[in-house]
Amino acid sequence: MSGTKRMRAVALSLVIAGLAACGNTGPDEGGSGPISVLARTATDTIMSSRAAQPAAPARTPQEAAAEALRVNPGPLIQVGFEGLGRTQVLALAGQNGAMRTYMTPSEEAVILRNGMLVGTRGLGRDLSVAEPGTEGLIRAGQSGRGTRVMRYLSGDGLERPLQFDCTTAPGPTPGVLVESCEGHGVAFQNNYLVQSGQIPVSRQWVGPGLGYITIQTLRP
Amino acid sequence: MRRPRLIRQLMATTLPVAMLVGSGTGVAVADPMLARNMSAYGMPGGIDTPTAEMLPDGSLGATLSWSDYARRGNVFFQALPRLTTVLRYARVDGINDYRDEGFISDRSLDLRFQVVDEQGWRPAVAVGLQDFLGTGVYSGEYIVATRNVTPTVRASVGLGWGVLAGKPRVIDVQDQGGTPNVDQWFSGGAKPFASVSWQVNDKLNLTAEYSHDRYYARYSDGNEYQQGDEPGSKFNFGASYRFGRNYEAGIYTIGGETIGAQFTIALNPRDAAFPSGLEPAPAPVRPRPAPAQDPEGWSGSWAQDPTAQPAIQTALADAMAEEGVRLEAMALSPTQAEVRLRNQRYISQAEAVGRTARLMTRALPPSVETFVITSTTDGVPTSSVTVRRSDVERLENTEAGQIAAASTLTDAPAHVPGLVRTDDLYPRFRWSIKPYLELGIFSAEDGLTHEVGAEARASYEIMPGLIATGALRQRAFGDIGQRGPGIPGERGEYYTPEEYESSPDLETTPEGVPRVRSDTRMYTGNSSPVIPELTLAWYAKPAPAVYTRVTVGLLERAYGGVSTEALWKPANSQLAFGAEINRVRKRDFDQLFDFRDYEVTTGHVSAYYEFTQGFTAQLDVGRYLAGDKGATVTLTREFANGWQVGAYATKTDLSSEEFGEGSFDKGVTLSIPLGWAAGQASRDRVSTNLRSLSRDGGSRLEVNGRLYDRVRESHTVDLYEGWGRFWR
Repeated sequence: MSGTKRMRAVALSLVIAGLAACGNTGPDEGGSGPISVLARTATDTIMSSRAAQPAAPARTPQEAAAEALRVNPGPLIQVGFEGLGRTQVLALAGQNGAMRTYMTPSEEAVILRNGMLVGTRGLGRDLSVAEPGTEGLIRAGQSGRGTRVMRYLSGDGLERPLQFDCTTAPGPTPGVLVESCEGHGVAFQNNYLVQSGQIPVSRQWVGPGLGYITIQTLRP
Repeated sequence: MRRPRLIRQLMATTLPVAMLVGSGTGVAVADPMLARNMSAYGMPGGIDTPTAEMLPDGSLGATLSWSDYARRGNVFFQALPRLTTVLRYARVDGINDYRDEGFISDRSLDLRFQVVDEQGWRPAVAVGLQDFLGTGVYSGEYIVATRNVTPTVRASVGLGWGVLAGKPRVIDVQDQGGTPNVDQWFSGGAKPFASVSWQVNDKLNLTAEYSHDRYYARYSDGNEYQQGDEPGSKFNFGASYRFGRNYEAGIYTIGGETIGAQFTIALNPRDAAFPSGLEPAPAPVRPRPAPAQDPEGWSGSWAQDPTAQPAIQTALADAMAEEGVRLEAMALSPTQAEVRLRNQRYISQAEAVGRTARLMTRALPPSVETFVITSTTDGVPTSSVTVRRSDVERLENTEAGQIAAASTLTDAPAHVPGLVRTDDLYPRFRWSIKPYLELGIFSAEDGLTHEVGAEARASYEIMPGLIATGALRQRAFGDIGQRGPGIPGERGEYYTPEEYESSPDLETTPEGVPRVRSDTRMYTGNSSPVIPELTLAWYAKPAPAVYTRVTVGLLERAYGGVSTEALWKPANSQLAFGAEINRVRKRDFDQLFDFRDYEVTTGHVSAYYEFTQGFTAQLDVGRYLAGDKGATVTLTREFANGWQVGAYATKTDLSSEEFGEGSFDKGVTLSIPLGWAAGQASRDRVSTNLRSLSRDGGSRLEVNGRLYDRVRESHTVDLYEGWGRFWR
């Protein structure tokens, strides 16, 4: 390689290094290759951590709830994602019969049927759908047995069911019903505050990836 | 009818919770006895000796090992729950060949089959072939039994032949390798070997073994070599440590004197960091109001209003675009709507279909009860999912199999009355300038090579199905330089580019085979801009299940011309047939608009079959680039998340001598979706083709846009495999 050629190569490589892919191709329109997807993931991560920083330390969950109630006139819930270590206010995004989809501003969803967890979306290790055979017992505040099926997208891309044997019984706190489930080497307990068939407050197990969430109805 | 069976399968699958958690220690019930550590040969085992253990089904990874005997790069894949395969690139020290470098570069392939799993008192038993394609330095066979003695101690005893018995086979220096020498298997006398492993805790494993391997190589020309030092004893000891979910590091001694180290990275397609993906939640279903609340909407009289459809189509197209799906066209009647979509974001077509179905409930007037959701690829419709709106409302967020059972999948006709194309989609011009990185990983002679530069790429979709694509590359730096092919008879020596270009008769090998790929390196290392691709492609659907493609221009780096293809693939068929005919001319090495003298007609007829258990098979019969005639068999394992691992072999009428080293063309293909690794929804993939060598026999044209993989995404097997993401 001659001197000028080497100079040119160095100059060119500097240009390339500074060249964060440009063009009018949207993020979805393929061919972007590994580098750009990883760059996009990194950018998203940085942006989200930046976005989260100013808000998070300043506000307690109570303050966040108060502000959401002031700003948003619709139904609201507050959800504590124990596995993710954050608490967020979710607003009603849609209702289909008794099933309600609540979403965070960044479009992560928690789906409830009259307070009972049906599924989650956008959290990475979501619950696709829960089929609690104990629902009647829980709403009636009765002790009994039932089967609960929880379906998940597994890593290989298939929807897989997990089946649990559950018992319901009143808990130590008056008005709280406890559902204890076991299966596949896992045991978990869901707690529901039942008030005339409605469940305004609960702590429910989402799945092996996300753990428990606590749900509090801010405005029904 | 095949669909119900697929749907049943969809609804009946179960998985132990350990797999969903993705913990490294959780042992899945479905898998046979699983490895606790890897051997220096990239197999579950002791240090040099094998065991009867397996890896979790689908595991893919690599073990790198270093010692005075060799440096080995082993790529392993658990192809079936009881079949482990390893492809190995080794630098074997102490052996001299024509290069006289004190080592040789060697490729080898191993197979291990577990005959029975451990049960009660019976141990797991496996049979294995080591370095079985041709006779090589590692050739040997074994039968081995492994059993848990206590929960933490595991013992293996086996019988080995070849190197495992310390009786290396004589390597034929004339042999081109690549074909199994079945008559030598399990011959030449056997000797026992044994190993014990102790799982001290979750992470640490200690191993001791008794091995007869003496690291000796014998050649038919009389040369014999000791690799490294002759082991001082038959006992080897090792320790390995697991960290994170995917890594293992180990050290070992062989014969007490030689020390080695190894490192393993293992991926499992079932073990994704974000199995359900991080993409935003879909817009939920909006149920229809009661008829009394919207009498006009329910009556269908809205359809009289000429402004209704354009307004609805614009709103729906915008909402779909938000979710990564392009609304290409729509046909709307008072009771039925057909939308034609292009999925630009999701690896599973079902997710695009499911999101579109929900958006339709939000956008369409209540009288529209039938949804026809048609997938398109390259402007051509491929299949239609027809579903009742009431079912979408009723089944939202239920088990995915239910909506599959309530919907039907049919072929999509090319034209439908009343279809209105969405405004402003065509013509569509897209361009980008990006850096590129090209890696040469598995070249035994060159080691790791690379090239970095900038690539400008543009596409112009003139109308649906007609698309012009071009790319321009400028290399900046790298060590993939221009080089002529190897000089025949002088192994390890290459023609210089000037030599090669100045004498056209060198473009044919002494055996009379035109150099169609073995001079690939002549196309690299250009310091001026090159045009890797400049094509005009036309995709069409002349009959209900027939797809066609015509591509003209500079089709790939080394060839330009015309490529034509037709594919028969009904949406509900697991079987497909295709035919491809290309007339191409070899491009000049500057990769601009000049051509060389070689021109050929190449083409294939192909049969494709998708098994429902995640396997696809392909058979191509035809004429290859060098004018040789033959067939290629490809077997691919794929997962619903988009992982694909395949192997292929091509045999043509070229003799082993005409073909050269390796005897015939074979290779392994890997493709991993980026979304699986990063969690972000994306259709991009990391793909690689581990080909044995750049040879002239059995080479095919590398044209972009081949039909089969594009079409079948929305067809029965592939669509239903990913159907679990319908409500995602």
